[in-house]
Amino acid sequence: MQSYSRNNIILRVNDLKTYFFTRRGVVKAVDGVSFELRQGECLCLVGESGCGKSVTALSILRLFDSPPGRIVGGTVVYNSTDLASCPDQELRKVRGKEIALILQEAQSALNPVLTIGDQIIEQMKIHLPLSTDEARFKAINLLREMGIPSAEDVLNYYPHQLSGGMKQRVLVTMSLCCDPKILIADEPTTAVDVTIKAQVLDMFHQLKTKRQMSLIFITHDLAVVAEIGDRAVVMYGGRDVETAPVSEIISAPAHPYTAGLLECLPDLSREMSRLNSIPGMPPDPSKMPPGCTFHPRCPKMIDICRTQEPPLAEISKEHKVRCHLYA
Amino acid sequence: MNERKETAGKDRAAFHGGGFRLASYYWQRMARNRLAIFGLAFIIFLALVAIAGPFFTPDPTEVDFEAKNMPPVGFTITQSVYDIKTDQFITTRVSGTWKHPLGTDRKGRDMLAMIVSGARVSLQVGLLATGIAIIIGTIIGVMSAYLGGWIDNALMRFTDVMMTFPFFLLLVLIVFIFGPSLAFIVLAIGLTGWTGTARLVRSESLSLRTREFVMAAKALGASDGRVVFRHLIPNVISLIIVIATLSIPGVILAEAALSFIGLGDPTVPSWGIILEEGQHSLTTAWWVAVEPGIMLLLTVLAFNFLGDGLRDAFDPKSNV
Repeated sequence: MQSYSRNNIILRVNDLKTYFFTRRGVVKAVDGVSFELRQGECLCLVGESGCGKSVTALSILRLFDSPPGRIVGGTVVYNSTDLASCPDQELRKVRGKEIALILQEAQSALNPVLTIGDQIIEQMKIHLPLSTDEARFKAINLLREMGIPSAEDVLNYYPHQLSGGMKQRVLVTMSLCCDPKILIADEPTTAVDVTIKAQVLDMFHQLKTKRQMSLIFITHDLAVVAEIGDRAVVMYGGRDVETAPVSEIISAPAHPYTAGLLECLPDLSREMSRLNSIPGMPPDPSKMPPGCTFHPRCPKMIDICRTQEPPLAEISKEHKVRCHLYA
Repeated sequence: MNERKETAGKDRAAFHGGGFRLASYYWQRMARNRLAIFGLAFIIFLALVAIAGPFFTPDPTEVDFEAKNMPPVGFTITQSVYDIKTDQFITTRVSGTWKHPLGTDRKGRDMLAMIVSGARVSLQVGLLATGIAIIIGTIIGVMSAYLGGWIDNALMRFTDVMMTFPFFLLLVLIVFIFGPSLAFIVLAIGLTGWTGTARLVRSESLSLRTREFVMAAKALGASDGRVVFRHLIPNVISLIIVIATLSIPGVILAEAALSFIGLGDPTVPSWGIILEEGQHSLTTAWWVAVEPGIMLLLTVLAFNFLGDGLRDAFDPKSNV
């Protein structure tokens, strides 16, 4: 699992802040998130709904609606370019070609009035100097590689003629067809049933091992994290509260929130009548509590948590946590 | 929906073996609507008449006072005619002949020839003016929805102003200023008739814009232009087809109305012009006004039936 080179950082997100300026006030969806993605690893962004995972992913490619959204601070450095501030034209060359994003809803992420072939081939021709025939050939090969039978026929299908799992594969094919270096997948296992979930996870695992791709995998499912992740960033209230290798997150969670998340998982080895849950609700991003955003729900809350934002504390070189208990 | 595909050439059609599937699906849905098929058949017939008819009919401007006010075939009327020899009015009975199957007007011009060339004019006006209106409306609607913000506001307020403007008065004004030329009438109708299209296209595009596939296209590096032309417009094409079909009769009627109040292009025999001339001889030759009237009625009905059929066929929620 530690086969990647430790120093080969391909993408560095530093203190990223994405706010949405709405009529009802400023929504701080992402409020200071930092992480780095290393060559060939799978980094998981974990957290409850509304903690800013998806907006973080969208912010990397600046895909949120603007206005009202705006990156108000921080950098996203890829290939010594800051994607958070570079001109749109440069960013478009990165989207799909260098960094590809797979959106949450596979079912509606394909244009209903264009055939699968149209969409994949068009996608390739945006970034690569290919003729239609070459692009078509490549598309068929990729679809086959993704495990789609009779790929030639599928090219002529419209999205509504495909099953959910097939659409997911087609989407991954579209994202891969320009050989991006980084693939960001936003909850690709959420809306699918268990067998397809296993297939999708298997597919991403192969991308990592066979193509040496760097993945950012967004999920709320810790089981999925354990299955596929190398390192994980746990997010809460728009901030990264804990960053560590997945094995450490599972075996020795430092942040009370991470520990709480893990306790929510059903443990099959013990008899349990009820599932555990973290008391309270995730905070409203337009009315974040002062100090540590988790303090109203935290079982280990101390006085300082109410007033002061916790600094980033290093437990080890690979394990960082944003909590006053470790400061 | 797939008009673009159908015109895209043989190699493309062969390339996408199933490219016609969507088109044939919609065709099957529409074919169940008999009125729509009647409308389509009539429009095709009318188009053929307009294209080929003038080669078979006499010159519609040819005046022949010997054969004026002839009734259509099968009708006989009594006319009182001034007789030079006896210097008094005599009453004669005149029957329609096959030389002028639809009769003649008070200058002896062949009505069939006039109706046929009027069909050409009316269809031209309808298609051209609607085309202009649809193109402007689509561009403004999609831009408004896609760009949003103050551009959306500015464009929509402009549309509102255009909508409140009394469109027919504007037409009259334009004709008054530039003279009664058919080209100006077409331009005037086209330049004022896009407001409804713009609004409908905008509202449809607004909901499309937030759909995942638009975001997905952007995530994979599509430019704004590509998103608009490949992802937004093809998805509103069905709406545009319906709007266009339903607005053609309005345009044809607008031209006829202009002509009827004497502001039409007198050099071009449109149905409105014939109708206007016919109203002066309603007592002596009713058919001159009635024939273009019936043609207008049938054409407008046909387009409306077709438009309704298309709308039902394109609407995934309607069960036809």
